[in-house]
Formats: sequence, structure tokens, C-alpha cells
Amino acid sequence: MSGRGLGTRPLPPACSRAAARGGIIAAAGLKARKYGVAGLVSARNRTAYMGSFLGDILSYSLFVFVFSRVWTAALADRIDIEGYSLSQLIWYFIAAEIPAFGFGRFFWTLAQDMKSGQVAYLASRPFSFVGYHFAQGMGKAAVDASVLAAVGAGLGLLLAGPLPISSPAHAAAALASILIAGSMQFLLQFAIAMTAFWIEDNSAFFWIYQKLVLIVGTLLPIEFLPEAARRIAAWTPFPSMSYAPARIVSSWPGGGAALSLIASQLAWLAAAVLLCQAAYRLGRSRLTVNGG
Amino acid sequence: MHRATRRFGSPRAYLRFLSVSFVVNIQSVLEYRANFLLQVFGMMLNNAAFALFWGMLIGKVGAVGGYGFDDVMLIWALVSTSFGLAHVVFGNVRSLGQIIQRGELDLYLLQPKDVMLNVLSSRTLVSAWGDFAYGFLVLALLPGFDPGRLALFCALAFTGALVFAATLAAAESLCFFIGDSSGIAGAVTEFLLSFSLYPETIFGQGMRWVFYTILPSGFIAFVPLSALNGLGWPAAGIAACAALAYSAASYGLFRLGLRRYESGNQMGSRV
Amino acid sequence: MPAIVVDNLSKSFRTKVRPGGFASSLKSLVAPEYRSVEAVRDVGFEVNEGEIVAFLGPNGAGKSTTIKMLTGILRPSSGSASVLGLDPARRRTELARSIGAVFGQRSQLWFHLPPSDSFRLLGAVYEIEGRVLKARSAELVERFGIASYMDVPVRKLSLGERVRCEIAASLLHDPKVLFLDEPTIGLDLVVRREVRALLSDLASRDGATVFITSHDVGDIERVCKRAIIIHHGVVVVDESMKELRHRALSRKYIGVKYAKPVDLDLPGLPPVKRTETAASYVVDTRERRLEEVLRALVGRGELEDLTVEDESLEDIISRIYQSKPGGEL
Repeated sequence: MSGRGLGTRPLPPACSRAAARGGIIAAAGLKARKYGVAGLVSARNRTAYMGSFLGDILSYSLFVFVFSRVWTAALADRIDIEGYSLSQLIWYFIAAEIPAFGFGRFFWTLAQDMKSGQVAYLASRPFSFVGYHFAQGMGKAAVDASVLAAVGAGLGLLLAGPLPISSPAHAAAALASILIAGSMQFLLQFAIAMTAFWIEDNSAFFWIYQKLVLIVGTLLPIEFLPEAARRIAAWTPFPSMSYAPARIVSSWPGGGAALSLIASQLAWLAAAVLLCQAAYRLGRSRLTVNGG
Repeated sequence: MHRATRRFGSPRAYLRFLSVSFVVNIQSVLEYRANFLLQVFGMMLNNAAFALFWGMLIGKVGAVGGYGFDDVMLIWALVSTSFGLAHVVFGNVRSLGQIIQRGELDLYLLQPKDVMLNVLSSRTLVSAWGDFAYGFLVLALLPGFDPGRLALFCALAFTGALVFAATLAAAESLCFFIGDSSGIAGAVTEFLLSFSLYPETIFGQGMRWVFYTILPSGFIAFVPLSALNGLGWPAAGIAACAALAYSAASYGLFRLGLRRYESGNQMGSRV
Repeated sequence: MPAIVVDNLSKSFRTKVRPGGFASSLKSLVAPEYRSVEAVRDVGFEVNEGEIVAFLGPNGAGKSTTIKMLTGILRPSSGSASVLGLDPARRRTELARSIGAVFGQRSQLWFHLPPSDSFRLLGAVYEIEGRVLKARSAELVERFGIASYMDVPVRKLSLGERVRCEIAASLLHDPKVLFLDEPTIGLDLVVRREVRALLSDLASRDGATVFITSHDVGDIERVCKRAIIIHHGVVVVDESMKELRHRALSRKYIGVKYAKPVDLDLPGLPPVKRTETAASYVVDTRERRLEEVLRALVGRGELEDLTVEDESLEDIISRIYQSKPGGEL
């Protein structure tokens, strides 16, 4: 893990020293702190670039506004579609766009890192490659998403009416769902970025992924898809990425149903983690084969 | 020397310039074939996703704002081809601000051609070719395709392209006056596209005046759609008038900015 | 017949005073302060058809500003300029047909295209008839020796190759006046020599009026017949190259280093700096033949190093300032 390829013997990393000194818990704490700091530093950097973020906020607001008009027109001569009222549809969209927008652009930075050779550089550092990037990426995205959520809430109050969050439990479930969805976004985009080890220009894969996320649950609730498509979608991770949090936020399906949604999210999250680790390990072996 | 008696700056000369620029740029684009195909793929993917969206939504609720599926597809075709054409002929339209700020206009000032036309047509955007072709593809697949309709579509794409180019160029020309205007220009592009691609009728009357003034999506999408849906060539005439008006305004703004540039009193002289 | 007439030409720029510190930043938002920079002050000269003029000056002297005013890119604050009888600011497009320009830091060639395509495009820009364009292209390609890379994208060419293509392209439309702004900037010695050769060739063959700016005197010396030196926006010298050379370019700085200590004093020429084995001398070539000095130095002992340098333009100018008017330096 440490001192790879340099020939000199470095000092043992802090966490193994801690382990030697005071036990596993201390070591775990230090390890966690490593990733925690990475996330915090990244979040701080992000706030420094609020200027460019303004563009994102503008795009998001525009999108929300336009879709509120689309839904208004769609419900011109009916009360609801598949049980969703106008207000619920608007809140649905606001919530669905948070994992899509706020946690949706990791791929490009990851792809940049791949291309620039950062991978090889970081691969020799004493921490989990995936974990480090996760902390870094999520730190940034957390700030983005929080701001978007605030903006979204404001827009929703203006365009759709009162906040659909009915209880603390509801709020907690919504938050959990969004965070899991965001994490899944990261992990899957990470896995796609890993294909750079085999394919030079892999942006096409990301585009396909992005569009699927868009169609399956972001632009439209799953219930709007034709029967056959709905059944196929159930076997994909996409419903867990935008539909689940958006549904929970906008039209509370009841405690039990919410929990089962979150549970399936967690299952897919676990699968995504495994996929990521596997992709990384495969990629790294290829890296040493090619010499970086 | 017969050079002195020849008419300089004739429309024919400009046409020659544009066509040479065209041919030469295409050749360089062909060099980057793979990249081009990738961009086209991305564009197709994006358009397909939204086509699916509209298909499913209209399938569920019927027409939205009075727009059926064919209407929505037609708008996408019009906007796509107009946008594509604008960036094929005036490929530098979105880099104009940058060119101004870096002082690269000097080179164009040295040449005996209209500066704005020269700058804008010096480049063609690879991906724009895909957008341009997409519209025709969709038009061919929609019912009612015949030579008359095709001709009308071409005319509308032409006027739409002018409106697009004029508006974007105007936003970029703000660089003459306020320094870095890339934020505004980016926003204008995004807003213009967004409003063009959605049924205009879903927006309240209070908003729609915007689509015929500062963000002319009305002349890019709604009026051409009306033309293709029965109002025919008279409606195209309205679009043409609008295109001329916007082009003139944009050109005027650029010339004003150019005067400023020539006096050299920009944000820190670029001596 | 004057090709270029400049009379009392001036240009000043208004720039915002950039504030330092928070309080003054706030103030500058509400009541911005402007500072006037006089880049060019009352410049006047005449250039006849067919003349080859060097327009010299240190960085920031106002050369680029002047040339921009002559080509119509910049409008003067006061005074007048006339190129081929036209006011560059008012009739720029018309003038553009008959002038060519090579700007050292900017390229008129399309970066991603091969020079052959740029030639075609420029042919359309300058409305050169098809047959004429073809003949002229062939002629220039041969003359500049660029045939082997006419079809290579410009971005792949070396700097020297690019400059050749650049100059060739500027001559396509047979301009009556050619402006070159720092054509050799950033080029290494070998390429610079090539370009100088090209420029002299230009001068003798085409009969065009050539106006070259540079801050390197060596470039221009062999090419131009007349020199105008500008400093702090004001014309300081305007005379033939021959006179200038005689008046101000006659100094050479020689540095020597020997393997062992030698007698470093030359008859009538003491070194200005010395150590045991090394020395530097200032030789006025009007009084003393350079060849003799070098011969004498070489003969003194085993030479380890020998350098011969021109005086820098800045030094020349400062000496000009200090000299008595019309007198020898």
C-alpha cells in the first residue's frame, strides 16, 4: 500500500501507528478522518467558486419553471395523472432533479483525472482510491445539492404550493433517500469513468447513462411509463436514483412503502459499491500492465 | 492594372468567400470524423430521450397546450435545423466574445471584408452539422411530407438560423461594452433553446411577449410551426421580416461596439 | 509620391485606475478615476513609395500603436495619417485591399488548415481572380520555399515554417504597402536570419513600400534603408540607415577570456573591465577597425572565449538623447 515503487522506506502511515499504539477503533477513527478531511476541503473549495455555480442554479430554476408550465398544461382538463396532482408533479420534478443535477456531473472530473494520469499518482497513496474520490466528490456535491434544494424549495413554494413534507419522519426519509440516490450517482459514474482503462473515449457511455436517468424517473414518474417499460425498469438501478427520493418527497406513499423504497435503494447502493471496487481493481491491474 | 476598375465588395464576392470558407472548413472537419460521429450520436441520444418523454406524456394525457406529438416533433426539427445552420455558417458566433476580449479582431480589421461577417464565418462547428441534418430527418418521417412542405421548411430554417445567429451574436457583442459577458451569452443561449423547444402556449400571456422581443423563440419555433401547420408562406414572410430586423439590430450593435474597440479604450488598453 | 504621410499623430488611452484595497475599490465603483496614457505624441514622417523603413523603439515605445493607426485598427486621438492617399480610420476597408500585414504575435493563417487552404481563403477575401491567384500562389511558394509543407496543417508547422507561410500569404494580393510588426519576435537565430534574407529579397523585388517595426536593430540593419526611432511615443531619430549606422551603431562590445593571464592593454584601448584572465572592451568602429582589434586580442594568448555584441537599442537611444543636437556621438 505505501512506499510502492520508490525504493525508500517511508514512515509507517499514521493509522498503522495509531493501531500499534491504541487499538483498532483509533485506527478506524483516523482513517475516517482522512476521508472526512478530504470531503471538507473539497466542500470549502466549492464554496469559493459560487460564481460559476450561479449558472447551475439558473439552469435548474429554468428547468423547474418550464416543467411547472408543462405539468400545468398537461393537467388542463383533469385532476390528476396516475394519482399525482399538479402540485405533487411539480414537487416531484424539483426533488428528482436534485440527484440528477446536484450529484450528476462527477463523470467529467473523474474522466479528467483518468486522462491526466492522476490515477496512477493517487493509486500509490495509502488510502482507498474509491473512498478518497467518493469523499471528495460528495463533499462538493453536498454543497451544490443543499443550495439547489433550498432554491428548489423556494421555487416550489412559489409554483406548487406548500411544502409536501408532513412530518420529521417524512423529512428524514426524504433526506436519506436523496443522499443514497446521490451516492449511487457517484458510484455508477465512477464505474463508467473506469472504462477509460479500456476505451479511450468513453463519454458516449456516460451520455447513455445520463439519458436513462433522465427518462426513467426524472422527467416522468415511473408510473407514467408504459406497462412493459415499467416492468423492465424495476430490474434497473434507475428507479432508485430519482424516482425513489422524488416519490418520497412529493407524494408520501406511507411509512411502510417508503421504507421498502429506501431498502431497495440500499440494496442497489451495495451493488454499486461492489461494481465500483471490481471495476477499479480490474482497471488498476491493467494500469500496472500498461505502465500507467 | 485593371484592378482599380473592378467592383469590390460585391455580393458575389461575399458569396464566393462564404462558399470557399464552407468547402475548406468541411475538409478540416472530415479530418475529425470520429469526434463528429460521437457528437452526432450524443445529439441523437438527447433528442430521442425527449422524443420518448413527449411520446409518453402525450400518450397519457393527449395534447399538451394544444400541441400533439407531431407538433412537438416539428418544433424540435425546426429548432434543430435552424440552430445547426446558424452554427454551420457562423461557426464563430459563440466565440465572438472571446475573440473580442483577446484582441483577435485586429486581424479581421486588416482584411477588406465586413468585419462581423468575416469573423462569424471564419469557422464552422462540427457538431452543428448533425443538428442541421436531424431536422430534415424528422420532417421526412412525419406525415404530410412533400416538396412544398420541404421548401417551406428550408425557408423557415433559414430565417430561424438568422434569428439565432443574430441574438447570440448580440449577446456576445456585449463584450465590447462590459468586458466578460460570457455568463449572459450562455444564459441567453440556454433560455432561447429551452423556450423554443417547449410548446409556447403553456406560458402565460404575460410571458409570451418576451418570446417576440428579447428572447425571440417565437420567431424560431411558434411562427414557423404555424406556417407548417396551415398558415403557409405568409407566416414565413413574418418570420423573414423578424429575421431581417434582428439581423439589422445585431449588426448595428456590433458596429457600435467596434467603434469602441477602435478607440482602444477598453478595460485596460490592449496595446 | 508619398505612400505614407503622418502628421502630428497622437494617441492617448484612458484607463481606469485600478484600486488597491477595499475602501478605494468601493470608491472606484461610484466615482471611477481615469488615467490618461499618452502612447503616441505628435509623431510625423513621410514615407515614399518603394521605401523600406525600419520603425524602431524599445517595448512600450508606441510602435504597435502607430502601426495600428496606420492600418486603421485604431483611431487616432489627434493629428492625421494617410496611407496611399486614404485615411486609414475612415476608409479602412478600401485601404485593406492594397495593404498587407504580418503581425508577429498573430497569425492570419487558419490554424487548423494547411497553408494551401489559407491561400484559397485569402484569395476569396481579397477577391483575387482564380487564375491570378493560382499563378501568384505558385510564384510565392517557389520563392519562399514552402512547397513541401503547403498541405500540412499550420498547427503542425515549426515557427520558422509558419513565418515563411505568413509572409508569403501577406503578399498574395500584391499589396502596395506591407506592414510588418515584430516579424521576428520569438524566433531563434537561424530562423531569424532566414527571415531577414526573405525581407531583403522582398525589398528589392516587389517595389512595394515596406514598413517594419522591431525592437531588435540587428534584424533591420541589413534590410532597411531608413530608420525611424520612437521612444516614449515621440520620434527621436529619422534618418537613413547609413547615417544611423555611422552615428550610433558603431559601437561593439568585445569580451575575451584567456587560459592564462596575459597583458590585457591594447594600444589606445584600455579594457573597461578586467580580471587576471578576462576583459571587456568598447570599440568604436569608426575609429578602429574591428578586425585589427580582434586580431590583436587573438594574438595575445590562448583564447578560451570571445564575444562580440552590438549595442542595445536602449543604449543607443539614451546616447542620442545625451548627444548635442546634430553633433557626433
